[in-house]
Amino acid sequence: MTKTNNIHEASFRDPSGFMFHDGDTLRRVIKPIYFPQYKKLSESGIFKTLIKNGLLISHQETSVSEEKIVITPEKIPFITNPYEWGFEQYKQAALLTLKIQKYALSKGFILKDASAYNVTFHKGKPIFIDTLSFDFYEEGTPWRAYKQFITHFLGPLVLAKYHGNEVFNMMQSFIDGIPVKMIASMLPRRSKLSSVLYPNIHLLAKMESKHNDDYKGETKISKLSKKAQNNIISSLYNYIQKLSLKEESEWGEYYSKTNYNKDAFETKKNLIREWVTPLNPEKLIDIGGNDGTFARTVQDIVQHVIVTDIDSNAVDYNFKQVLRNKEENMLPFVCDVLQPAPGIGFNNTERSSLIKRLQEYAPDVTMALALIHHITLSGNVPFEKSAEFFAKFSNNLIIEFPTRADSWVESLLIRKREFINHFEFYNKTNFENGYSTYFDLVKKEKVAGTKRILYLFKNKTYGS
Amino acid sequence: MNFLYFDPGLGAMLVQAVVAVAAGVLLFSKNAMYKLKSFLGLTKDEDGYDSIDVDEEDTDESNDKNE
Repeated sequence: MTKTNNIHEASFRDPSGFMFHDGDTLRRVIKPIYFPQYKKLSESGIFKTLIKNGLLISHQETSVSEEKIVITPEKIPFITNPYEWGFEQYKQAALLTLKIQKYALSKGFILKDASAYNVTFHKGKPIFIDTLSFDFYEEGTPWRAYKQFITHFLGPLVLAKYHGNEVFNMMQSFIDGIPVKMIASMLPRRSKLSSVLYPNIHLLAKMESKHNDDYKGETKISKLSKKAQNNIISSLYNYIQKLSLKEESEWGEYYSKTNYNKDAFETKKNLIREWVTPLNPEKLIDIGGNDGTFARTVQDIVQHVIVTDIDSNAVDYNFKQVLRNKEENMLPFVCDVLQPAPGIGFNNTERSSLIKRLQEYAPDVTMALALIHHITLSGNVPFEKSAEFFAKFSNNLIIEFPTRADSWVESLLIRKREFINHFEFYNKTNFENGYSTYFDLVKKEKVAGTKRILYLFKNKTYGS
Repeated sequence: MNFLYFDPGLGAMLVQAVVAVAAGVLLFSKNAMYKLKSFLGLTKDEDGYDSIDVDEEDTDESNDKNE
């Protein structure tokens, strides 16, 4: 009998069932109240079609009894949350949700919720992970999850269009989506002229505040035909498909702006591959890894690769490559090292903090290339503190240290103006000392053709 | 059976009638434009995104029917 007392922290809202940890395996309990839906979904081939098309996470039935059915979904190595997605990722997650809703509707089901947390990224694509989100469609009823779709998907996407990708950070404060009224207030006035934005956001906001107080179940909910509901879904799909960031910057110039030449670039790539190979890693994370250029040099010898960057354009650019090349072992997401995603929601544990997730992921190799000068000089983080951060989840750390002679370090220092003397500590010796608190030095090598040194450190206390 | 564990919002339930009408008009005009454009030979391929429709051809369900 599988033990079910270890309930997953994000799994308490839905009465249909819950997720629990069975050792290292995550399983899902389905309660009798959801048996009819589950059986129909399994027997009619709906689950099968969705899984086969890579839209829904696959699962195995582990045990069946009268009190509960236990299923075991395919393992996902790392869960990213909506506030860590680039624009393209967010968009794809929204389209996936609509696609599933449209298909479900054609089979007599609906998505009973449209939370952005139902989707995550796995094997290079967005995937729906809440197997119990389906409910029977009742003829003539409007879509109950409609408002949730607007506050979790359409709203954030449209706001990002006008205000930039950083808007997704708002999802950290509003775990159940950005309030409709706030979305409406943040949109430019001309959005009222849009035949999609006016009804779906402005009118919705108006109707919501009008009916907010007098809900005693007196107002009769009007019928909505299946055809009408399909029209809503399709028009949202078409609209979101065409959405793009207004301020889409010209990305891709980053590496042409590097302060070292092509040979040095290749040397660095070779060095990384040379160092990573004997470590034989299954999991690797590249923090501040831009569009994944350096992570891709070892992609073929590592089973699962994560690349994070603060620049959402770089993450988007990386994700587009993942899609184009159908790369299954590359997961890009947005992360500001100086302010990693906190634990949010009820008990602060509903969505885990980035550090907690990284500790559970336990990468064999952590890479931090051309990052330390930003953390230290832009973020004013002492070496010992950044070492502490990396030590929390890293076993082997490959870190690049640009010396004071490096032109980027120079320019960061110049920006300190009269405080430049406060940053005398930025040098090789202090860096090595700071990191020696948590790490043993395994090797170091100057990257030929640059003013940078590459280090390989081993965590002193990892796994103990 | 109703498993609603969050408030769908009464306004949101009501507004869908209006949203659907607007969507209907939009889709109709989009279709009409598409037909006109393809008649004039002006259509081009959509940019890399999947269609909203789920491909059901390769499922076992349809295979069973063939057997």
